[in-house]
Amino acid sequence: MAGMAGFSREVAKRIFAEELKNSNYSFRDGEDQHQYAPSYLLTPTGAKCNRVFIVGTLTEKDDIGSDAEYWRGRVVDPTGSILIYAGQYQPEAAQILACMDAPSYVAVVGKPNLYRTDDGNIIISLRAESISRVDENTRNQWIIDTARRTLERLDTLKNASPIPASGDFTTADNVPVSSSSSSPAQDADRALQHYHTDIGHFREMVLRALTSLRAELVKSDANSETIAVKSAIAQGAKKAAAASQAAPEEMPPSRKSKPKKSEPFNAWPQSEDEDEVETINIGKKS
Amino acid sequence: MKELIDQIKTRLRDQKIEVSDEDIESRLKKLIVDFRVPESEARRSVLNYFFKEHGIVPQVRAGSDKVKIAEIKEAGKWVDLEVKVLDLWEPVAETISQTGLLGDATGSIKFVKWTKSDLPNLELGHSYILKKLVTDEFHGRFSVKLNRTSQIEPLEIDVEAKPASRAPQQVTVAQINEPGLWVDLKVKVAQLWETNSEAISQSGLVGDETGAIKFVKWAKADLPDLEDGKSYLLKNLVTDEFQGRFSVKLNRTSQIEPLDVDVEIGSIAAEFSGALVDVQKGSGLIKRCPVCKRSLAKGVCSEHGKVDGTYDLRIKAVLDDGRRVQDLLVNRETTERLLNLTLEEAKQMAMEALDHEVVHSLIESKLMGRYYSITGPRIDRYLLVESINEIPPISAAQVDELLAAMEVA
Repeated sequence: MAGMAGFSREVAKRIFAEELKNSNYSFRDGEDQHQYAPSYLLTPTGAKCNRVFIVGTLTEKDDIGSDAEYWRGRVVDPTGSILIYAGQYQPEAAQILACMDAPSYVAVVGKPNLYRTDDGNIIISLRAESISRVDENTRNQWIIDTARRTLERLDTLKNASPIPASGDFTTADNVPVSSSSSSPAQDADRALQHYHTDIGHFREMVLRALTSLRAELVKSDANSETIAVKSAIAQGAKKAAAASQAAPEEMPPSRKSKPKKSEPFNAWPQSEDEDEVETINIGKKS
Repeated sequence: MKELIDQIKTRLRDQKIEVSDEDIESRLKKLIVDFRVPESEARRSVLNYFFKEHGIVPQVRAGSDKVKIAEIKEAGKWVDLEVKVLDLWEPVAETISQTGLLGDATGSIKFVKWTKSDLPNLELGHSYILKKLVTDEFHGRFSVKLNRTSQIEPLEIDVEAKPASRAPQQVTVAQINEPGLWVDLKVKVAQLWETNSEAISQSGLVGDETGAIKFVKWAKADLPDLEDGKSYLLKNLVTDEFQGRFSVKLNRTSQIEPLDVDVEIGSIAAEFSGALVDVQKGSGLIKRCPVCKRSLAKGVCSEHGKVDGTYDLRIKAVLDDGRRVQDLLVNRETTERLLNLTLEEAKQMAMEALDHEVVHSLIESKLMGRYYSITGPRIDRYLLVESINEIPPISAAQVDELLAAMEVA
């Protein structure tokens, strides 16, 4: 791809799984809507992405192909999970996924893909361009990285203003000519119009990701000092769960308005609970 | 943990699957303790695992068909829309009773109401819930059709239709990485060039601490001339791109404000931090033309034809910080250090595998997806790497810092 005139690579956006799952708006860019025009996903916080970078835990992988191999994996981050696919057109990614054990930490560069089922639901997944095994450090870096980028978008969103239409008579699929070059502010406007984004909700998502990361870091520091592994294993899971819940309360400077105290943090993605058995998940928002 | 296990057992029992607590617990622990998976995801994963073991296929739930205009991407679907009538056009055929444009917050779409539908007329500027429309497509543009089964319900509230907005952003030269953006720049004029077209009143280079960029001031813009060496705030420029290089254009809507301060034009040394998202072709063990040092493609130099190449080791890759991408080139010395592999060892590897690609694969498996910070001079779109370091592990203090910043925001 090097040497192509005018070629500029699309940035890989950082989006938490929870936000990706709530994304259902995609469009092709440019004046002429030919089939090779790049396609973009607009997320609720206004990330316009042709490409996404995620790091998380690969918890499941399956070959769902009938003739040729077609690999599907589930990647989990502190906010939820997303499905990734790699088939014959992503041979390297497919091979790496095929050889990988679940669970393990993975970094995935992929293209977001929306699929509308016959009954009108929208399912999002990533078509993996590359998959690689990484360590916990990289995963932690990604959480911080993604938190920062998400907060930046939320900031832009705060200042966004959905203004009523003014002579812009194109289909949304064929959004203004300038869209191939939309600014973050414009993307924010559009995200707000489409999703009526609840900024507080996504702030909470970031907060949750950071608090759980912090709890892990504090805990692993403590662990490396006192190597009481045996009993820790038995208790570990419970502690981890407790820590991720307790941490927000231990951190007075991190929150202005506390959410209802009675509700534990991990109960938050409620819509998930019913869907947990589905291997494909629906991220539909009105 | 006990709770989780019980929940999973209940769900499994619903499907007549019996699994021991220990089996469930060990899977849960591995996910939650070793791999930091949130509880809800761990539960899902464990459930899916046992369902799969027992050959149970999960099913998808059905949903509603109320959509936003932006979501219409396929012809022949039945949808409901909540919209405002933005425009009404003269029907071109007897079979059409009304046609025009509908809008909601996500966009606008053409509609056609068939005469046969026998539906009441829509009024310009009014908002409605339209039920059971059929989507259609022509030359990639979508429309909705109101037919005999469709329903029209007037709305009390006013549906907000989509705006068009664009606000320029103040950016630095290095941030310009997309054509067609409206930007403001604080820059100093570094060079003025002879113009070779009557349409252009001035062109040259302007720069800030992050680098320099070509500018073009159109004659039609009717703006005062920029002076060499002076600093300005240039407002409402449009970015442009030609063969991967960016420029800014001053047009009729642009403004020029002289600055009292002197903007310093940055040196070419640059730094960049981000995740390594691509290892490009031509990385690893390559052969170069002995005459001109160009890399060979299948033993052929683009300048000197078929030559006996000399081996070299290098990396061409892309770093990405979520906002920008940076192409980078790593020379042999740095590549050797980074991979902990000498050129000789790389040759040995390739010889044993009978394939040069093994070195490329090694680079991918070592570098892909990891976070690095690099420094070095920027030439064209490449940063020639002088130093490359993996970003140190995140500390709790760094997380605290970000959490504190969230509090302030």
